[in-house]
Amino acid sequence: MLTRRDFFICSAALAAGTTVTAPFLLPKYHSDQRPKRSRVAILNAQQYSQQLDQILAAGLRLFPLDVRGKTVLLKPNLVDYIPGNTINTHPLLVLAAAESFRRLGAESVLVAEGPGHQRDTQLVLSQSGYEQSLRDERIRFIDLNRDQLIRTALRASYTGMRDLWLPRAVLEADFLVSMPKIKTHHWSGVTLSMKNMFGVVPGARYGWPKNILHWKGIQESILDLCATVPIHFVIADGIVAMEGNGPLNGTARLLGKIVLADDPVAADATCAQLMGFDPGRILHIREGSRFLGNASPALIDLVGETVNAPATSFQVVPEFRHLRAL
Amino acid sequence: MLFDSKEISHYKVPTMTTDSLVLSALLAELALRQLPCGGWAALASSSQPAIEPTCYSALALGSVPAGDIERAQDFLLHTQNPNGSWPVFPGDDQEGGWVTSLAVMVLREVMPAIPARLQGFHWLLNCAGKESNWFWKWKFRTADRHVRFDPDKYGWPWFPDTVSWVVPTAFAVLALNQIPCSCGGLEQVTHRVNRGIEMLIDRACPGGGWNAGNGVVYGSALAPHADDTAIALLALRDRAKEPVVQGSVDYLERVAATLTAPWSLAWAILALTAHRRPTTSLSSSLVALPDLSSIEDTSTLAVVCLALDQPRALQAFGVTL
Repeated sequence: MLTRRDFFICSAALAAGTTVTAPFLLPKYHSDQRPKRSRVAILNAQQYSQQLDQILAAGLRLFPLDVRGKTVLLKPNLVDYIPGNTINTHPLLVLAAAESFRRLGAESVLVAEGPGHQRDTQLVLSQSGYEQSLRDERIRFIDLNRDQLIRTALRASYTGMRDLWLPRAVLEADFLVSMPKIKTHHWSGVTLSMKNMFGVVPGARYGWPKNILHWKGIQESILDLCATVPIHFVIADGIVAMEGNGPLNGTARLLGKIVLADDPVAADATCAQLMGFDPGRILHIREGSRFLGNASPALIDLVGETVNAPATSFQVVPEFRHLRAL
Repeated sequence: MLFDSKEISHYKVPTMTTDSLVLSALLAELALRQLPCGGWAALASSSQPAIEPTCYSALALGSVPAGDIERAQDFLLHTQNPNGSWPVFPGDDQEGGWVTSLAVMVLREVMPAIPARLQGFHWLLNCAGKESNWFWKWKFRTADRHVRFDPDKYGWPWFPDTVSWVVPTAFAVLALNQIPCSCGGLEQVTHRVNRGIEMLIDRACPGGGWNAGNGVVYGSALAPHADDTAIALLALRDRAKEPVVQGSVDYLERVAATLTAPWSLAWAILALTAHRRPTTSLSSSLVALPDLSSIEDTSTLAVVCLALDQPRALQAFGVTL
């Protein structure tokens, strides 16, 4: 027998489902954070090597960055370690970024992440090659799953959550660099610089995986998070990307690119194009272009390589085939 | 290697082996990290007390001078939510979370904590993964089948309003198994524990072991994690003859020999001991890891201490050999 409570739950669930699947009809952001113009650089890099230092340093010179005296927080995508799977942002790219920002005068450079699948952060660090590299270079790592937490009001209301507990290190950083691995994702279509921000949500408070964000809507959570924790710069690892059943069990795909941007929406729109997707069909990019950044090519100054869609789009799970631009 | 009995810091250990020397040093470090409020923070550099590190630390320091532990117990009693649950840390929302299972285990032998524990058990019994509701069960059976699992077999979520996951379910099973009788409003204990055990067995990875709780997604088997596997195996100690459990113990034994991270290795030692597998060489590997005392993560430090004091640790978790 259907009780009143069950009826209410059912109605609410249907309403929530509609919210998730339908485009966002009404804006739910508190302020328009878009820059007038955005800058994106696509760099060629065919392999992970010590030369990344020079490639990245040259790429960063294309941007008028001023990080002197600032605390720079590098946020790689570090989820889990599965031998043979290209899941994580490569440590050599993170080291190259740290070195570049130090040279640019940053007061300190931190690497911080809260893995979303594996509770043993040290194990992921060790197995993925980060632990030794960071130690050798004297770069501090902060486990965002366990850092001190501060209740933070959200600056958008797509999820309906008023606030989130967020790590102090993230909130106190002067300059946050999202360093995603360019991957397809079986729940959100793609995981790029904006989705990478799920890693700042602390597992100690929200669990492993950060299931509340799935229940509140992945696209909605991405928008709320990016509105609340501004991404100042993006360095996306697309040297070896992932297609298919990402973010863990997809297939490696050589893309040979690093994407730099001063705007996460512009970065993700560009990465999506490099994957053969139409950015306008990715909900969080499309909605993000209304208040977080620019997705329109007319508002993006592209430096470095041009955007060339691949001959074959990235493979995706069936639910996201509609993302393909071809 | 044996040493004469001697006192290190204020912890007296009768016969000193390498393991017990290391344990004494780690316990001393753990005691130093106790905050004035009686709790422990997640990280050595933090001053924000949290329930999970406090519980592991209190269990690890169970044999040290009473004042430290009493302060920890008081801290736990004062942070309980009005609904009987425990928050992740003081000041958190009052809906409670999975750490309630840890708190009721830590307070097991504290007489004044009996009412608080009962409230905690009631909260646990009323807390279930979202898939226990008929609507979500139906949704997972029909429209949302990308993660392979049986929604009839549900356990506990990390936090209310989400689905069941392996670690919170395993700790809830361990906690509820410590209830001496199914009376006084606790009649559902056996039912919930059985559902939880079924859920754990259902969520195992195809090749043995567990991760957070997604064994197969979009047709692909996901890899197990050593720590999740170990915690599940502690809860399944009484189901050692189940093929899934045997396969998972085998998996854990294989992978434990390769582990270099103290958190996973310590949990593996506890679970393998519970399942009567040899762990001497693993303990040697654990104490040989560099800089154990300077581990930033306090939960890890405490679990390492527990792994070096297995009989007492297993007793604290209610696991009998």
